[in-house]
Amino acid sequence: MQLPIPLVKSQAVTRRHFFGQAGLGFGAMALQSLLGRDGVAAVQGDRIPAKAKSIIYLHMAGSPSQLELFEDKPALTKFHGQECPKEYLEGKRFAFIKGTPKMLGPQFKYQKHGETGQTLSELLPGLASISDDVCVIRSLHTEQFNHSPAQLLLQTGNARLGYPSIGSWVNYGLGSENENLPGFVVLASGGKTPSAGKSLWGSGFLPTVYQGIQCRTDGGDPILYLSNPAGMSREARRKTLDAIRDLNSFEHQHIGDPETLTRIAQYELSYRMQMSVPEVMDISREPKHILELYGAQPGYVSESENAADPRVLYKGNDPTFANNCLLARRLVENGVRFVQLYDWGWDHHGSSPGESVDETLPIKCQQIDRAIAGLVKDLKQRGLLDETLIVWGGEFGRTPMMQNNVHKELKKGFIGRDHHPHAFTMWMAGGGIKPGSYGGTDDIGYYIDENPMSIRDLQATILHQIGIDPHRFSFAYEGLNQRLIGPTDEGRVVQEIIS
Amino acid sequence: MASFALRIVVLFLVVSVSVVAESADEVVRFNRDVRPILAKNCFACHGPDEGTREANLRLDLSEGATAVLDGRRAVVPGQPEKSELVARIESDDPDLRMPPPDSGHELSDAEKNLLRNWIAEGGEYNVHWAFTRPAKSDLPSVQQADWPKHVIDYFVLARLEAEKLAPSEQADRYRLIRRVSLDLTGLPPTPEEADAFIADSSRDAFEKVVDRLLASEAYGERWARMWLDLARYADTKGYEKDRHRDIWKYRDWVINALNQDMPFDQFTIEQLAGDLLPTATEEQILATAFHRNTMTNDEGGTDNEEFRIAAVKDRVDTTLQVWMGLTMGCAKCHSHKYDPISQQDYYSFYAFFNQTEDADRSDDYPVLPQPTPEQTSQMTSLESDIKALKEKQKSEPGEAVEKLLKDQENKLKDLRKAVTTTPIMKELGENKRRETRIHQRGNFLDPGERVEPAVLDIFGNSNDDRPSSRLGVAQWIMQPENPLTARVMVNRVWARLFGVGLVETEEDFGTQGMMPSHRELLDWLAVDFRENGWSMKKLIRNIVLSSTYQQSAAVTPETLAADPRNILLSRGPRFRLSAEMVRDQALAVSGLLTQKLGGSSVMPPQPEGVWKSTYNALQWQDSIGPNRYRRGLYTYWKRTSPYPAMTTFDAGSGEVCQIRRVRTNTPLQALVTLNDPAFVEAAGALAGRMMEADGELADRINRGLRLTLIRHPRPEETSTLVELYESLIAQYRNDRESASKLSKAAGLEGGDAAMIAVANVLLNLDETLTKP
Repeated sequence: MQLPIPLVKSQAVTRRHFFGQAGLGFGAMALQSLLGRDGVAAVQGDRIPAKAKSIIYLHMAGSPSQLELFEDKPALTKFHGQECPKEYLEGKRFAFIKGTPKMLGPQFKYQKHGETGQTLSELLPGLASISDDVCVIRSLHTEQFNHSPAQLLLQTGNARLGYPSIGSWVNYGLGSENENLPGFVVLASGGKTPSAGKSLWGSGFLPTVYQGIQCRTDGGDPILYLSNPAGMSREARRKTLDAIRDLNSFEHQHIGDPETLTRIAQYELSYRMQMSVPEVMDISREPKHILELYGAQPGYVSESENAADPRVLYKGNDPTFANNCLLARRLVENGVRFVQLYDWGWDHHGSSPGESVDETLPIKCQQIDRAIAGLVKDLKQRGLLDETLIVWGGEFGRTPMMQNNVHKELKKGFIGRDHHPHAFTMWMAGGGIKPGSYGGTDDIGYYIDENPMSIRDLQATILHQIGIDPHRFSFAYEGLNQRLIGPTDEGRVVQEIIS
Repeated sequence: MASFALRIVVLFLVVSVSVVAESADEVVRFNRDVRPILAKNCFACHGPDEGTREANLRLDLSEGATAVLDGRRAVVPGQPEKSELVARIESDDPDLRMPPPDSGHELSDAEKNLLRNWIAEGGEYNVHWAFTRPAKSDLPSVQQADWPKHVIDYFVLARLEAEKLAPSEQADRYRLIRRVSLDLTGLPPTPEEADAFIADSSRDAFEKVVDRLLASEAYGERWARMWLDLARYADTKGYEKDRHRDIWKYRDWVINALNQDMPFDQFTIEQLAGDLLPTATEEQILATAFHRNTMTNDEGGTDNEEFRIAAVKDRVDTTLQVWMGLTMGCAKCHSHKYDPISQQDYYSFYAFFNQTEDADRSDDYPVLPQPTPEQTSQMTSLESDIKALKEKQKSEPGEAVEKLLKDQENKLKDLRKAVTTTPIMKELGENKRRETRIHQRGNFLDPGERVEPAVLDIFGNSNDDRPSSRLGVAQWIMQPENPLTARVMVNRVWARLFGVGLVETEEDFGTQGMMPSHRELLDWLAVDFRENGWSMKKLIRNIVLSSTYQQSAAVTPETLAADPRNILLSRGPRFRLSAEMVRDQALAVSGLLTQKLGGSSVMPPQPEGVWKSTYNALQWQDSIGPNRYRRGLYTYWKRTSPYPAMTTFDAGSGEVCQIRRVRTNTPLQALVTLNDPAFVEAAGALAGRMMEADGELADRINRGLRLTLIRHPRPEETSTLVELYESLIAQYRNDRESASKLSKAAGLEGGDAAMIAVANVLLNLDETLTKP
């Protein structure tokens, strides 16, 4: 018999695999025999010893300035206000910079912290308090300089739409550890979804079952359609589900299709989810000291969540992101494999109100800094940091020059930087990552001059830590063995940052 | 009638040829057995791509495999022990072994034996099956001679008999009419239509049903959805801004073309190059919107040329995928590793598409304005008003005239803005033609050698008279020598009807794709499709009139074990309805469905806050009135935030061409049909219809069962639901507040909450959600 290709395989996997390893009756068993193994898509050869069990990826949509947060560049301060030399402009494509912009020195003070002597800006005191748990990578670079394609490249391995996100790859490969919760959950804050929209957590050519499930925290159902209709109690729902099960069983006696049994199981699962999801999403169950550690406030719905332009409403004490961080911990604690947070509002061009490096960036930092420190400390005190990989960053960096297309001179509240693909900073913590620093840039932070790390390297390293061989793990589609890291072998697991 | 006549013809055609079952054949066959192993394990380094070829060895061609390299030959026909290939695959030395241990590929012992035997038997290479022209083969002889109704059935039965399997009995008539109605129109029959069919004892009762369904407007709506997935149709432009785009008139063009059974060659040529036809009509130009469904990036600071090129590449890839089942994505960066398509071939083909005026502009220029007759007459009258006012202004200038003129001019401007404009393809003028160069490693900023437009000769190119343009490409795709076009299309239609294609990898007919389960059948259908004048309706009619299609889907553990995925077609198709059908059926059985053909897209209820995109003022506004209950294909489709109830049922985002939807079965789907307000409203309306039935409670429940399942209910089904009703009604009598809340949510104020819950059950049965 001709071996079924992975699409068939993955279809089969779905039965067993949607929310975990729970047996789903005869249908699943029949399909398991087709798979010849336990229903996990990552086959033996794809699996390697895992350092992390789960991933929390904190994406700052819009891309924060590395020059205000991580890159202390005295030379850039020295050139501040001078015209940018031609060699940095000729033959370069910029999103918004026109003509010759002025150099822009870092706007905030830097200090060294902890035993690792980590250089961090005054905007990140929380991160400073956990600096010995963090590996700061100052040598990321990307090929894309517009938000949507750069986010797609980072999250799906391709700048065009239609490819599976890293979370769905991991979900496809490893599944959830909890049969009542999805394996890949998305939480968004900042009032908007990121530029590339839901494609960032889409499943591309993988079955839709592996896509991220966006859990909502604005007062509605945490998962779409989770609540029974008004007037349908849980007891009444149980009775209807019993009838559905009975009629489906009659049908199965007559027709014998194993798919019917799978459907019975999935309806039961949906009933259990109606309990388990609101439970795990309810942060009011957390003690006060934990809420304070993150700066979380149960039930808070920010004005900016429903504003046409949230940027002008940002307040430093807005707890939406903090709530999501606390949720992320609760989710990984309960076996969710991949939790993706997006926080919108980091695109600080300085051209419109509410998007400047000098005034908006400090507010955004305040919104996330305590929460992030709280998350790392909380995971650590629960013994979960070692098995949880945390990744933080944007989709590219910001230019060492000021953006000049609207305001040619420095003006309070309108100081900004353009998109910069050549060098930016991310950090990782936990999940087998060695604290410290990696990579570096030249005197003004324009180019990388030490240990460059590409998007593919980053993706390869993340997959490696979760126990998937990034080079082997693939899905046959359109005649290619498709991989997150793309078709070439340029993606490298960066061993230097692994403990 | 037709099937009877056909059967006579068929019987004369039957000649006694031995049944060749694919798996009962001992001889190693290159295409079936050997090429898949080589393609999977070897071609990446020893295939068509000269850029990554190792050791100068090429195993995809006989000349390459038998060439002398360093005094040795990979394949010495008839002599496995002298063949380096055999030595390498059987070697224990990790430095010598092929494929190399670190490649991630490994041959099983069975695969090694196959390669050895193939070389022993002569190591013969054949052209990949799908790259040779299909032909109608003689019909195989069969034992169960009274089973076949159609040519299709001979091929299916012969294969079953070779596997010592028997076909299933015919499905009962209730299930049959529900199956064929859903398949042909995407809508269920009414119980009355089913009863009429059951009462019709004429020989051609089923044919009459089929012909009625094929003639209904709903046919075009159902099959348009298949085509719109391929066309990556959506109501927005994609990427960050993802702004609105008026392109629904293209959707309606597809529906109309299918309803008129436009021949597939014309359907193809008009969509790919309608603008280039001599004296092109407005409709032919509208058809070219097919390739304007590519995305436009309105994000600030983007390089328009970069995204124009991305759109052109999408058109090339989509064209070859949709019509020829070829995957070209990889040839953008390097020569194909598995199929004989070089990077130069890719960009030569791309050159045809690189000559249109669209350029990632935010106004989506060029567009086709299509005012309604009312708008046209208003515009004409305004224009003449303005002309008159201008005359008047000349003769007697004054403030009043001035103001009136300005008002009328503004009105005209607003009116022009309100006219629906559809993006279309338009060729650049002769003096503006673009030069095409290879993009090295796929990077448009790194141009390489210049190329001239050329089709892919390997798929036949006997006619030199074709114009060197998209029109020539479209004609080349439809030329009789093209081995792929007809096969790919009939396979696609087959897959929609049976759940799995005869070639399961609908998207890949190349060497990496799967082999067909019934090659002779596929080829017969392909040739017949061409011979019948490219009529899709005839193709579909042929398939559904076969015994194969009309089999019962019931299985026993034994028959299930013998053919677990129904690849051998030993039973009828049974699989979950598509996202659109799940919705449309709920609306139809509850009587809510608005049957209106075409028009701009609508917004059925969607949970609040689903749309929250960056810099986009577009708002979801739940439609009220008839537009709330339109068929699923009219739902507004926003690429970065597609309608969640339908994506949960595997509908795609419309970002790129989607050849097939992989079906899933998840708890999230249960939540949609149980709780989504659209389905709760359908339950309310269905409950209302049930309450109208005469008789006892059981009669009302049976009415609901018949409306949803069409067949007559079994006693245990009725009694289970009666019990459910009685238990719920007791509960709701004590809790009137909940009862009225549910009735209100279901749009049936003052209605019977317990019956609404029963109707909710009916809409969630496995049988309801599944094609029977």
